[in-house]
Amino acid sequence: MKRSYLLIAAVAFALSLLVPLVVRTDYVLQILFRIYLFAALGLAWNLVGGYTGQLSLGHAAYFGAGAYGLAILSREGLPLWLSLICAVLVALLFAWLIGGVSFRLRGPYFALATIAFAEVLRVLAKNLVKLTGGDVGIQVPPMFTSAVIGKFYLSSVGLTILAFGITVGISHSRFGYYLMAIRDDEDTALSVGVNAARVKLYALFISAALTAIAGALYGSLFLFVVPDQVLSIDISNEIAIVAMLGGAGTVLGPIVGAVVLESASELLKSIFQEAHLLIYGVLLVVVVLFMPEGVVGTIQSVFRRKELAPPPGFVKPQAQAPVIK
Amino acid sequence: MLNGILTGALYALVGMGMALIFGVMRIVNFAHGAFMMLGMYAAYVLFQHTKINPYIGFLFAGVVLFALGWLTYKGLLKPIRGQSDFMQILLTLGLSLILSDGILLIFGADYHQINIPLLGKNIHIGPHITFNAPWVISFFIALVLAALLYVFVMRTMIGRAARAIAQNRYAAPLMGINVHRVQAISFGVGVAAAGIAGALLLPVFYLYPGVGDQFTLKAFVMVVLGGMGSIQGAAFAGLVLGVVESLTSLYWGNEWALAVDFVIFILVLSLKPSGLFGSQRV
Repeated sequence: MKRSYLLIAAVAFALSLLVPLVVRTDYVLQILFRIYLFAALGLAWNLVGGYTGQLSLGHAAYFGAGAYGLAILSREGLPLWLSLICAVLVALLFAWLIGGVSFRLRGPYFALATIAFAEVLRVLAKNLVKLTGGDVGIQVPPMFTSAVIGKFYLSSVGLTILAFGITVGISHSRFGYYLMAIRDDEDTALSVGVNAARVKLYALFISAALTAIAGALYGSLFLFVVPDQVLSIDISNEIAIVAMLGGAGTVLGPIVGAVVLESASELLKSIFQEAHLLIYGVLLVVVVLFMPEGVVGTIQSVFRRKELAPPPGFVKPQAQAPVIK
Repeated sequence: MLNGILTGALYALVGMGMALIFGVMRIVNFAHGAFMMLGMYAAYVLFQHTKINPYIGFLFAGVVLFALGWLTYKGLLKPIRGQSDFMQILLTLGLSLILSDGILLIFGADYHQINIPLLGKNIHIGPHITFNAPWVISFFIALVLAALLYVFVMRTMIGRAARAIAQNRYAAPLMGINVHRVQAISFGVGVAAAGIAGALLLPVFYLYPGVGDQFTLKAFVMVVLGGMGSIQGAAFAGLVLGVVESLTSLYWGNEWALAVDFVIFILVLSLKPSGLFGSQRV
């Protein structure tokens, strides 16, 4: 990534941190919180779904682990920050279990297995009433006491910056190249000595930890969570759609995706009410059919084509979309 | 147990449709349950307007869903054929969101149920065994249709062509098979199977826009359990799943049934990926 981009990103983040000084409406701040939360979630997902090319449709498992972990552990008397850390550890345990089984599968089977795990967790959360409160839900302790929304907003920006930093770091590291090698051709990556199983699992660990923190933030803002909300397949889908819409495997993609998707769904909520998922569906179909590289990916490849304009008379080869297996 | 077999026959129909689409054609169809839901709504609308019973109305649902499946293939899936599974998953996922929320917009989120006189009737066999009549009728219709579907895939030209394409995508067109035509028809048939199962479930299920969601995953479970590419495997797996679910409901409670399905799924994938009848590894 070019230095100028990084500079722009740094300025944008700095401005975002100043937003609560200007915006005082809770409603707007809550929407902004949601945008940043999903930007962070999309960035986290992107490490597994974008860079490594493993289509996880079960990230609700880690999201829910964060929210429920925080709620259950602090109910048992652990201090708030320790509960948060332990919730992340629980998410890592889930990642280890899910990744251990699912990463042996490829293509659609991986996606299906991740869905299956997340759904099993949802059913467990609904039925282990003593532990989770079942369908009724469970109370989540507030992380902040005064000027609540503003602080939640700042935390979501902070989480996005963290996820962004990690993504930038990884995309230029040896580890990042391993991930992309696995995405482009897992067998070749294996044959040149990439320990694919371990590398994929590490990527999932980072992703799951970030997702769990986001889940804890989300639960803590609303003070209450139910299984059909934080562990639902809709959350998994939304996370994946954010990243795919903006551009999987790009650093900026998930942030752009979150801005576009969340503001679109907020604007259309008043028109479609309960049916606001419709817009997710339409966006997904449009992205797949017309810009499979996402918004950022498409813009980048347009620029790349301009930079590498062939000499006159040269027969231009067909531009190819990156193959995501 | 016996009720499980009755449910299982309808599952089998859903699963066989998916086996054709996913097992044979390798299209990862995340909209399968949404198509089933559409089948239910088609039969429902027909019933509301003409009072035609779903046991005849399922034919209408089948025709509508076939047309819809054919169009879906031609319009949406054909352009991305040959691209990765990743794209198919996202496309069909998007489609399923569009279908279920489109229905939500049109019909609202309310639960509907149809009232036909048959519902209250029970069939008694011996002193202890009682069946609810609608289930029994659905069961026999599903059985006949499952047999027809099997014949379609294994014996007709289209079915053979579809399997030939599955074996070798490049050789099939060389043998004079019109790949896209065959696949569009097969996709339509697979989707129609789901729609018909939906119509047959109408008398015994509540109808709401999200009713199909869990069936998408169940259909995948059946295909994997039955073995990739095996139509009869999926049918058998449907019966197994029906029985397992009804036993789970009986001993542990209804809410655990879904979890048991997925545990089966994960176990099959990790321990015996070729499924019960499949020859291919997944």
